[in-house]
Amino acid sequence: MTPLLEIDNLRVTFDTRHGMVTALDSVSLHLNAGETLGVVGESGCGKSITALSVMGLIPQPPGRIAGGSIRLNGEDLVGAEPARLRSLRGSDVAMIFQEPMTSLNPVLRCGDQIAEAVMLHQNVDSARASRLAVELLDRVGIPAPAQRARDYPHQLSGGMRQRVMIAMAVSCRPKVLVADEPTTALDVTVQAQIFDLLNEIQRDVGAAILLITHDMGAISEMADRVAVMYAGRVVEQGKADDVLDHAEHPYTRGLIDCIPALGRRDDTLREIPGVVPPLHLLGDGCAFASRCAHADRRCLAQKPVLTKWRHHPVACHAVEEGRI
Amino acid sequence: MTALLDVRDLSVRFAMPRPSLFAPRPHLEAVRQVSFTLERGEALGIVGESGSGKTTTAMAAIRLVNAAGGQVLFDGEDLLGLDEKAMRARRRDIQLIFQDPYSSLDPRARVADIVREPMDLMQIGTPAERRRRVGELFELVGLRPDQMNLFPHQFSGGQRQRISIARALATHPRLVVCDEPVSALDVAIQAQILNLLARLKAELGLSYLFISHDLGVVWHVCDHVAVMYLGQIVESGPRDALFETPQHPYTQALLAAAPSLARRKSRGYVRPVKVSGDPAGPIGQRTGCPFAGRCPRVRDLCRDTAPALTRQGPTDVACHFPGPPD
Repeated sequence: MTPLLEIDNLRVTFDTRHGMVTALDSVSLHLNAGETLGVVGESGCGKSITALSVMGLIPQPPGRIAGGSIRLNGEDLVGAEPARLRSLRGSDVAMIFQEPMTSLNPVLRCGDQIAEAVMLHQNVDSARASRLAVELLDRVGIPAPAQRARDYPHQLSGGMRQRVMIAMAVSCRPKVLVADEPTTALDVTVQAQIFDLLNEIQRDVGAAILLITHDMGAISEMADRVAVMYAGRVVEQGKADDVLDHAEHPYTRGLIDCIPALGRRDDTLREIPGVVPPLHLLGDGCAFASRCAHADRRCLAQKPVLTKWRHHPVACHAVEEGRI
Repeated sequence: MTALLDVRDLSVRFAMPRPSLFAPRPHLEAVRQVSFTLERGEALGIVGESGSGKTTTAMAAIRLVNAAGGQVLFDGEDLLGLDEKAMRARRRDIQLIFQDPYSSLDPRARVADIVREPMDLMQIGTPAERRRRVGELFELVGLRPDQMNLFPHQFSGGQRQRISIARALATHPRLVVCDEPVSALDVAIQAQILNLLARLKAELGLSYLFISHDLGVVWHVCDHVAVMYLGQIVESGPRDALFETPQHPYTQALLAAAPSLARRKSRGYVRPVKVSGDPAGPIGQRTGCPFAGRCPRVRDLCRDTAPALTRQGPTDVACHFPGPPD
């Protein structure tokens, strides 16, 4: 079975005042129909750039897709005509952004914004589109949807706004839903509601979800498979259970162990020392080497390649050599 | 021995704009008769969602927001009754760490000056002693001496939070109010700062009033925890009791909502306790329990009569029908 979305060897560069930096380097991911792939990492690891690449929303310039392919149902999106991308966006791939207040139009009523998306992609008149918008708002759990459709975004709470975003994103029954940190701006009880809603929508519509997050807890609750990214590369990838229970890469282990989990009785948390290096200072070796307790000379000199070891693919010399 | 901080019936109200010229001015009851104690060398966590009044409670307790009523006994002395001069003298015992390490440091000041400033303002020691103290503080929080003359923008978020901590410790405070000190940081950096805060608490015998929305962080740092909802404490108690046998449905919902590695999609995890909707607004008069509108256990009594915070087993709970989740 060919995957619904297949990112192969993707390389994205940006021109900065420090010269050209590589934001994504040989990133390969795939997403099967109806499943959730979680992409996890710290800020600056390239997870949002991955999401934007899939949407064809990398600002060019300064950004450039320097190599690789993104195939949706076999069709390559890299180098596709802007018109073609516009027709795919919203209908086949849709995005839920991080901050619904800045990504909704503040001067349009919520219902009209959803209706606009519907009319762009489906052959319906405006009255029918407005009715569909109300149905969608009802579907995502907004009480009194007909009245809320007439509200402006600022009249809604953060959770309600994110529901409006989700209603808009699923309005054309996309095959792929890209959710970029959909709950960062929300309170924890509302975050739980949004997670439950996304899972429910996935069951109903059968959409595949690409979930971008920094939270291993969210991965555990939402994802079927997970890719861990660091400094623009995928360092570990596999089934969510496999990666969470048998993390191999020192970075993945660090991410799991540093969470102050409820009920954990250790007095000190495991730390990952240091910070993510700036992209323009990446050398030839493994980007994680400067923070890694297992780094040796080879790690500093040569980039490890994602290769399947015991359970799943990992990019680490120490794992490969059996040192950890 | 008296507690370090003993807050009794603290209330804060904010005046709202009049809806029309002659209408009475509405008030927002941000904090409603909140009481708690903090012992020496301990950390009290205040958790709640945005708008629950957790920050306002802490700020009113240290007189950075005016209280509408109540008492704040610091070492037995009521802070709310002190005059300006006496309060300023007290400030050296009470310091703050803010949430955002980017906006809480002056971008045009060198970090050594930022850390020294509280000592300058309170005229602690001679200039030479102050400089020596800055050096000690840098070492204490894990910064290098050669970083002293840099500006804040030359540091990462985690290092900036270390600078904030050094500044807070400059006057040898006894109480440090930490307002979401790690919320703006990446998880890997969070662990570094949490470990630092735990170490400083043990080494220096500090007391923390620790505000956070993240239950895992509170679990890790605090000895006692108070859960706030719409300006009221709905449950409080020792950490283990509160997290392991929560009695209030809101505490249970918060715990069920916190993402956890133990909950796996692959194993068909379905959330047991759900709350629907958003918190109601804090404006205007309210009868009954603040959580009644979202509570899975709500009955008529809850809408009419507000429950008082009373001891129910291991924790203090404000609920008519406390107990384990159904």
